[in-house]
Amino acid sequence: MILLNLLIRGLITGAIYSLTSMGIVLILSTTLVMNFAQGDMGMLLAYFAFFMLARQIPYPVVFVIVILIGILLGFLFEKYLMSRARKTSHLGMVMITLALTMIFEGFVGYTFSTMPLLFPKAISGDPLQIFGVIIDKHDLFTFIVSIIIVIVLFIILYKTKIGIAARSLAEDEFGARILGIPINSIYLFIWMAAFAIAGVSGILVAGRQTLEPHFMVVIQLKGFMAAVLGGMNSIIGSVLGGFLLGMIENLVSFYIPQIKDSFSLILIVLVLLFLPQGIFGKREVRRA
Amino acid sequence: MKKFIPYILLILVLFLPLILRETPSIIGYLNLVMIYGISAQGLNLLLGIGGQISLGHAAFMAIGGYTSAIFVVHYNFPFIIALIISIVVSAIFGLIVGFPSLRLKGFYLAIATMALGNVVGDVLRRMSITGGDQGFRNIPTFDLFGFELESYSSKFYLILFFFLLTYFISRNFIKSKSGKSLIAMRDSEVGALSVGVNISNAKLLAFILASVFAGLSGVLYAHDISYLHPSNFALPLSINLLAITIIGGLGTLWGPILASLFWIFLPLIIGSKLELLSSVIFGIVVILVVLFLPRGLSEIIFRIERNLKKVNGI
Repeated sequence: MILLNLLIRGLITGAIYSLTSMGIVLILSTTLVMNFAQGDMGMLLAYFAFFMLARQIPYPVVFVIVILIGILLGFLFEKYLMSRARKTSHLGMVMITLALTMIFEGFVGYTFSTMPLLFPKAISGDPLQIFGVIIDKHDLFTFIVSIIIVIVLFIILYKTKIGIAARSLAEDEFGARILGIPINSIYLFIWMAAFAIAGVSGILVAGRQTLEPHFMVVIQLKGFMAAVLGGMNSIIGSVLGGFLLGMIENLVSFYIPQIKDSFSLILIVLVLLFLPQGIFGKREVRRA
Repeated sequence: MKKFIPYILLILVLFLPLILRETPSIIGYLNLVMIYGISAQGLNLLLGIGGQISLGHAAFMAIGGYTSAIFVVHYNFPFIIALIISIVVSAIFGLIVGFPSLRLKGFYLAIATMALGNVVGDVLRRMSITGGDQGFRNIPTFDLFGFELESYSSKFYLILFFFLLTYFISRNFIKSKSGKSLIAMRDSEVGALSVGVNISNAKLLAFILASVFAGLSGVLYAHDISYLHPSNFALPLSINLLAITIIGGLGTLWGPILASLFWIFLPLIIGSKLELLSSVIFGIVVILVVLFLPRGLSEIIFRIERNLKKVNGI
């Protein structure tokens, strides 16, 4: 019974990890940029959501507005920063995402406060009990929303024109260019999608803990780890890697609490030693 | 004329404590500038020359600082011996991280070092010998063969000595065969491979130098501030060090110290009211440098140098 409880909770934490790692891998596989701003974009949007909720705007409306703001910010980011940085250097692009985290954390700390705030849950109330498994209602909401987003994203990636173009870009940029795929609009779409996902994960995580400027940093690291676990170039892998990471982590912190903190490093080292491509990743052919 | 500029600068710097003796706190800040400058110089070698991104650089500072503090406080070692031990320990850690990096691609290394930073912080928090979450208090100041350096200006000269040492080591590294092969590899992997450049040893050397510099700066920090806390060496510092190297100009020798000067004095200039905004300004500067100034603040130095050449020509 304990095991089942642990696994279910792991799945719920894993749902959040997979949202973040999906955003990261989406960016990484197409633009080859490590997006360090994924977590902190969620943090910023969660703060926006907090103040909209404080003005009595209903939760679903706030949810939609946050996604729209995320899309808008993704558009502005690619249009005015990334497209220019792409001409300079690859490291420059990575540094811009890091600079973004500094700007967001400083901005939030200055305008709001560094004090932890209590973010309202999507659904409050006593936890549910299903077959002996205790689930918080907000956690259930988190899980369902994450799954919906994953499914929507996969439909976009596999059934729509722009999604298929994005995947082709991830596979071979040169080939995609030859086929006349409008690379720049794909980049726009990818960043918009990633930041919309960031906003959702920000709201969902904020409901589980308190809101403070650094609350997404750990999630960001876990998102990276899930991406390593699942394979850096596979979007399915990143989603499954997130769920897997959540479950493994929950089991480890219950059964072997001594290594709870060092667990992240141990896992990364193990994966890189034995499965350098990740569990679901494709072996990459080195191109010149 | 140009030949003498560095010496004139050096003499000026040597007299700084005398010039600023009315305001010793500025000397204290300058000490911090040099300490972070040393650490950033290490990262500069790794990132600017080696092309390896590390997000756990602050963890190496913590390793150096805590090692020295433990040996001095708990085992009563003299400062010099503790310094040597911490440098050896940091070198070993650099080697441990450096080995896998030979096989890993850039972003895996970034994640692994990020995780390492997290783990080092957590381990330091849990151990009792490090003072745990209370932080390591009452670390004695530098003790050079019985002379205790108490004042800011005496510490200034010691830290300046180490800063110049690291400066010359980096200069020689960049000019050495290892440095040149790393630069070749960074600029064109295919080109370097096809002329038979082997960079395994050079990469390892860059890692060791980076972690030794970070460890050294951690030691200096520990005895300068006399207090250590794991959260001072968490991810934000690593990110700031990365930003310092970028703002200073990647692969430039003067970059780290210039940017570190900027980083330390920015919050003081804009005042305590806006202090939280300093990271916003710093981030914006990073973006501007990436977009418009590939050589960062070192551009200033290059411009001066060019103008001097012109003057010389006449």
